[in-house]
Amino acid sequence: MEAAASSVVVRDVVCRFGEKTALNRIDLTIAPGEIHALLGPNGAGKTTLIRALCELVTPQEGTLFTRGRVGLVPSGDRSFYLRISALENLIFFARLHGLRLRQARVRAREVLDAVGLADVANRPVGRCSHGMQKRLAVARAVLVSPEVLLVDEATHDLDPEGARRIRDLVRRRADDGTAVLWTTQRVDEVPDFAHSTTLLVQGSVVFSGSPAELAARAASDRYLIQVRAIDTGAPPPLAAVQLATGSAAAILPTSDSGYFLLVPREPSGIGATVARLVGAGFDVIGCRQAQSEMEEAFLVLTGAAA
Amino acid sequence: MSVISEAPKLAAFVRRDFRITLSYRMGAVTGLVGIAGQVLAFSFLGKLVDPTRLPLYDGTRATYIEFVAIGICLNMAVLLLVHELSRALRNEQLIGTLDSLLVTPTQVGTLQVGSTLFNLLYVPLRVCLFLVVIAIVFGLHLHAGGILPATVLMLVFLPLLWGAGLVAAGAVLTFRRGTGVIGAGVAVLGLSSGAFFPLSVLPGWLASVEAYNPIAIVLTGIREALIGGAGWHTLTTPMLELLPLAVASVAVGIFFFRLFLRRERRLGTLGLY
Repeated sequence: MEAAASSVVVRDVVCRFGEKTALNRIDLTIAPGEIHALLGPNGAGKTTLIRALCELVTPQEGTLFTRGRVGLVPSGDRSFYLRISALENLIFFARLHGLRLRQARVRAREVLDAVGLADVANRPVGRCSHGMQKRLAVARAVLVSPEVLLVDEATHDLDPEGARRIRDLVRRRADDGTAVLWTTQRVDEVPDFAHSTTLLVQGSVVFSGSPAELAARAASDRYLIQVRAIDTGAPPPLAAVQLATGSAAAILPTSDSGYFLLVPREPSGIGATVARLVGAGFDVIGCRQAQSEMEEAFLVLTGAAA
Repeated sequence: MSVISEAPKLAAFVRRDFRITLSYRMGAVTGLVGIAGQVLAFSFLGKLVDPTRLPLYDGTRATYIEFVAIGICLNMAVLLLVHELSRALRNEQLIGTLDSLLVTPTQVGTLQVGSTLFNLLYVPLRVCLFLVVIAIVFGLHLHAGGILPATVLMLVFLPLLWGAGLVAAGAVLTFRRGTGVIGAGVAVLGLSSGAFFPLSVLPGWLASVEAYNPIAIVLTGIREALIGGAGWHTLTTPMLELLPLAVASVAVGIFFFRLFLRRERRLGTLGLY
């Protein structure tokens, strides 16, 4: 990807806060229309990078560049004036972006409508739900149709439906050519959403590539199998299942009766294990991946895998 | 970003703060009660002050109420200009909106003025109301001809206060709390200015500070103009004394505010409270 055509360019950025290195030689580029997922555990430096791009933090080394207007969806819960309405908040911020009062009012109503908050436009923000306030933050970020959208953990504490709505809003912006930097710990939302991914651990990039490439870094597969005895229909004991499985796979207990973790030891481990279990008088009711490849890759790369 | 493009943003701040003030319905009522209480308290205090110890202004001896009304008004202006910006920034830190403000394409100077503008307009209205109440209840004999010179003197004084306010606001960005040192300094200057009591009742050493106390210089000038009816010729000297101080104060204020802001950006702690 050519840096010259990029909307966001981060080159060799170093940020130190006292003894702690929050960002260690970070490189990153985002093209117009691209959604770039920035993954990492707590304290990895995701928010610091976003704040550096907003000029709220000054790096000690390196360069940062954003092309055009920048919209920010902050991670915190509190970024609005709670005693005034959603509409008044947006009018205020729109005017700080240079819109005249009339333009600001029209634009505020447009973005409220776009995020599905037109019905609560006149409600004080303090009386809006958490999910509504997140959508309002997205509305504020797109008030001036930014060329760059920085979204800091917008979905981390939302229910699945609320998170999906936020992603849809952001995806629409990307479809219109906005470059998006999306920080998240919800790795499962990345494959169907982001075009590219960077994984940060303790301020350093440990992976950079496509979501598919990230998934390919998963070190092992684990499967959750549900087993019962054919004759009694009862969940079998762990030892019986382990004995029946043999050496093709490791069988580990779970907290649920009748459910076991299956870790294949050889490429044909799953099929061989299921065949052995059936041959030993067990009924294998279900078998699925215990965690996604993305989650596995995240855990492996961040050193948190069991 | 030009001044022309930044000016409408100030109106946005005023609109925001007006709406927030309106949302606190009891606020206006308690404010009025406070004014009434202040008037009542000083009417009793006035009975304790020996009128012969009040200074003469251009040959005119003021009543205590006239004397203290001007002192209270100036003190309100001092407190407002020195503390309002740091209060506003601290408030933005606490409610979490400071980052959101700073990522907008708004100059820092606009944020400073905008954050305080509503109260800079609202408080003088309350001061006028205060004076009207005093005039009705106690009678206030002020020279109308002194209003313009007193206003000009005040305008020369405002940048000096604003500079101190910038230092206090910068300190709030960095230290969050602990700016009481600046407040205490201003309080000492206010007390030793003779805002509430004639300097003749204060200890001699404190009264002698008057000549070096900018608040006292302005206060005396305004009282000369409004109570004694003194004209421009009397106020020229204090204006010339204050002008370089005002310029220096703003320069120092801008320097320290930028210094503290840069420090916070370097440490990554700008939005923390």
